[in-house]
Amino acid sequence: MILRLVRLLLVLLVVTFLSYLLLNLLPGDPTTQILGLSASEEAREQLRRELSLDDPLFTRYLAWLGELVAGDLGTSYTTSVPVTEALAERLPVTLELLVAAQLVALGLALPIGVAAARRAGRPLDQVLTALSFGLLSTPVFVLGVLLILVFAVKWQVLPATGWTPISLDLGWNLTSVLLPAVTLGCAQTAVYARLLRTDLIATLQEDYITLARARGLSPRRILWRHALRPSAISLVTAVGLNLGALIGGAVIIETLFGLPGVGRLIVDSIFARDYLTVQGGVVLISVGYVLVNFAVDLVYVAVDPRIRRA
Amino acid sequence: MRRRLGWGFWLALGWIALVLAGAAAADLLPLPRYDETLAGPPQSGPGPDHPFGTDGLGRDVLSRVVYGARVSLGVGVGAVVLGLLIGAPLGVLAGYRRRATDAVIMGFNDVALAFPALVFALAVVAFAGASLVNVLIVLGVLGVPAWVRLVRGATMVFSEREFVAAARVLGARDRTVLWREIVPNVSLPVASYAFIGMAVAIVAEGSLAFLGLSVQAPTPTWGGLINEGRPLMENAPHVVLVPSVVMFLTVLAFNLLGDRLRALTDVRQSGLEPVRRRRADRLPAQPHHVEEGVLLQVADLRTHFTTVRGTVRAVDGVSFTLERGRTLAIVGESGSGKSMLIRSILGLAPDAGTLRGGSVYLDGQDLTELDGEQLRRILGTRLAAVFQDPMTALNPVRTIGAQVMEPLTVHLGMKRGAARARAAELLASVGIPEPARALRRYPHQLSGGMRQRVTIAMALSCGPDVLFADEPTTALDVTVQDQVLRLIRRQREERHMAVVLVSHDLSVVAEWADEVIVMYAGKVVERGPAATLFERTRMPYTEALLRAVPKLTDPAHHPLRLLPGRPPDLAAPPSGCAFHPRCPYARERCTQEEPPLFQAEVPDHLYACWYPVGTGAGVVETSGISGTAEALKAAETTGADETTDAIEGADSRGR
Repeated sequence: MILRLVRLLLVLLVVTFLSYLLLNLLPGDPTTQILGLSASEEAREQLRRELSLDDPLFTRYLAWLGELVAGDLGTSYTTSVPVTEALAERLPVTLELLVAAQLVALGLALPIGVAAARRAGRPLDQVLTALSFGLLSTPVFVLGVLLILVFAVKWQVLPATGWTPISLDLGWNLTSVLLPAVTLGCAQTAVYARLLRTDLIATLQEDYITLARARGLSPRRILWRHALRPSAISLVTAVGLNLGALIGGAVIIETLFGLPGVGRLIVDSIFARDYLTVQGGVVLISVGYVLVNFAVDLVYVAVDPRIRRA
Repeated sequence: MRRRLGWGFWLALGWIALVLAGAAAADLLPLPRYDETLAGPPQSGPGPDHPFGTDGLGRDVLSRVVYGARVSLGVGVGAVVLGLLIGAPLGVLAGYRRRATDAVIMGFNDVALAFPALVFALAVVAFAGASLVNVLIVLGVLGVPAWVRLVRGATMVFSEREFVAAARVLGARDRTVLWREIVPNVSLPVASYAFIGMAVAIVAEGSLAFLGLSVQAPTPTWGGLINEGRPLMENAPHVVLVPSVVMFLTVLAFNLLGDRLRALTDVRQSGLEPVRRRRADRLPAQPHHVEEGVLLQVADLRTHFTTVRGTVRAVDGVSFTLERGRTLAIVGESGSGKSMLIRSILGLAPDAGTLRGGSVYLDGQDLTELDGEQLRRILGTRLAAVFQDPMTALNPVRTIGAQVMEPLTVHLGMKRGAARARAAELLASVGIPEPARALRRYPHQLSGGMRQRVTIAMALSCGPDVLFADEPTTALDVTVQDQVLRLIRRQREERHMAVVLVSHDLSVVAEWADEVIVMYAGKVVERGPAATLFERTRMPYTEALLRAVPKLTDPAHHPLRLLPGRPPDLAAPPSGCAFHPRCPYARERCTQEEPPLFQAEVPDHLYACWYPVGTGAGVVETSGISGTAEALKAAETTGADETTDAIEGADSRGR
């Protein structure tokens, strides 16, 4: 446990340091990049002091880290809004999208994986496996475009873009999150279903499953009570590990569907040359990702009694 | 064994070759340039002049897709090469050197894997500028951790193989070993992952381009084309569809190549996996009569598997009867069909590619005729099984209580409270201390011996008539073995049940069994009352098994006496008597004719041998004679009362 915490801290340090380094990637004079060519020499001088650009890199990083811990990521020079505030406003949208996408992915993967595993090698399994493979090979923006084409343009049953917050109207909120969540969740569905299938097939060959059959328990009971739980544990890990891919996908989905989330904020800020906001968004996402993975590790320990006391 | 790549592989390869050729020779193709506006009327659909139509500015969509392939494939291939150049040496180093080098490299690697890759790529490109070189570098570097992990794993596997160890012992320098032995072997998994990596890189570049953060206009990219086509979706869907489909096919093709290549390296297939059949066929069985008043009768039971290498006769014509209160032992080497016999009796043999034959009667009722529901009712209450390894016999993620209580609630309809009390009693009856506490524990919290007691308690929970114990003590400590066997015997006596005990340990069998069946290659080769069988062994295989029993007089750590030769290949068993290649007494006849079961001088003692040991028949010169009558004659010359009688299942089934 202590080892895990040390590792967590180490990873967090590296992640934040790399995020901080991003500013140093700016070609030429960062003040020109941030303030633009027309900025006065005094304004640049002031920014130079604010960012302590004349100090050594590591000193600057530590100072920045101190402010980060205090919740201060600076104030955007383009919008004059504190970065933390801008992010806090956008975060709920991204979180809802991620949770909805995971729900879609797990909700579809569970029946698909179970059905394929129970009929391993037979036609249904082969069709489902091929389908999963195809889904895995579909870039998320391609899938999104196709779904918009079908559901928003052709059938006009779901909105292509736009967002209604939960606080305004739950029904509309769900309508606006449905298509993005399905798009984002579909690729994960394939990942989870394949994993569940493989794992379940292996579990179904275990001695304790054969013995459960020898005790005259029904196939349904064996599947749900005996086989699915050990396999679900691998699924929990996969859910955590796939969060990285999901966050990357969320950036695209938010842009594609016009959702006001953190990803969209980052992309917009890139084009507005609002570098502090971009940096803040990257810090938020990477730190969040690392923390969620850590949490998944803990959940894994909680669900699997084999390693609970190990 | 050579495995086929399949038509999908070649189709995918063809598509990639087509796209690659198009991208390389784009300037030579009879296409309008990608940036030529008004090459046709804007937003016009596919037609003879523009096979894929034109976009909003009247540019040729096909041309833009073909030129866009340059960026996509360029980044895909380039990023993989870059990642491989950095990652492979690190991976080989970590996998070959191990220890500190490995720890340091993998430590960094783990941290690197903890990043959301695409977001970082996005940020780096945003700050450093969106250009082909930057995109390529970022995607290449982000791929490094995966390469390190893959190459390290593959290197570790091969650096443990004999030929590498041999080369090292022979004094080959590390570099020579690496280049000659490891690199060639690691290259197949690397090639497989390279294709998957290309697919990943193409998708990543497409994502960046879709966001406008890859190569900048006017150079077309697939992701950029899809983004451009979005506003036209309503009036000219082909503008967005064409690049989408091309991209999908290309990514699919790369993934397929990688997947098929990986299947090549998959060594788990042995050629003995069951082949699926359209319907479960039933093998014809020998006619037999159902004996009355017998608890369990197995009649000519057969379980065959259809595999790529041929039919495997795992259980081939086994018959026996068992009465209450008796213990029948089934002995034989691993792979002789003992465990499969137990599973076949209980209807637990795998379904896939299985051919079944024969019958199992419980109190005269044929279990093989029952449907699933009827069989389950009998399995839960009248027949019970205990398997060899207590470590794998219990579900690791359910409590002991949940598992012991389950048959009670399912079959006996007990309420939870009653079931819990009964489960505690059961655990106490098999000698588990603090049963109430044990019910709340998980299997891994108990020792092997305790777990086996739990599985026995579960087997006994519904008061079975027959207990099948498949090597119940093999995985246990010697001291625990005896306790478990005593437990089974006591339960047998208390409950007046019958026990079928599978074992390869003849000392156990001699002590505990009433009757013994010796199996070889799926068949019964000798059978009889335990004392008779061990004192008057007739079958040379039984004799060999008896000789292999370790003795107390053996020095410590004395290697186990093994039977000479290998167990038979069940997909291609030897002709005649399956034991003849390993039999010291084998003659011409044994290689050609399969011996039936003969009746020995003691009632119920049967053996399948042309020249049984201890009768003198083995030394009588019988070359030139053949047929059962001759064997009978040969046997008669040695024992006055011996009546040789071919019984059930003794027809010439040999080849």
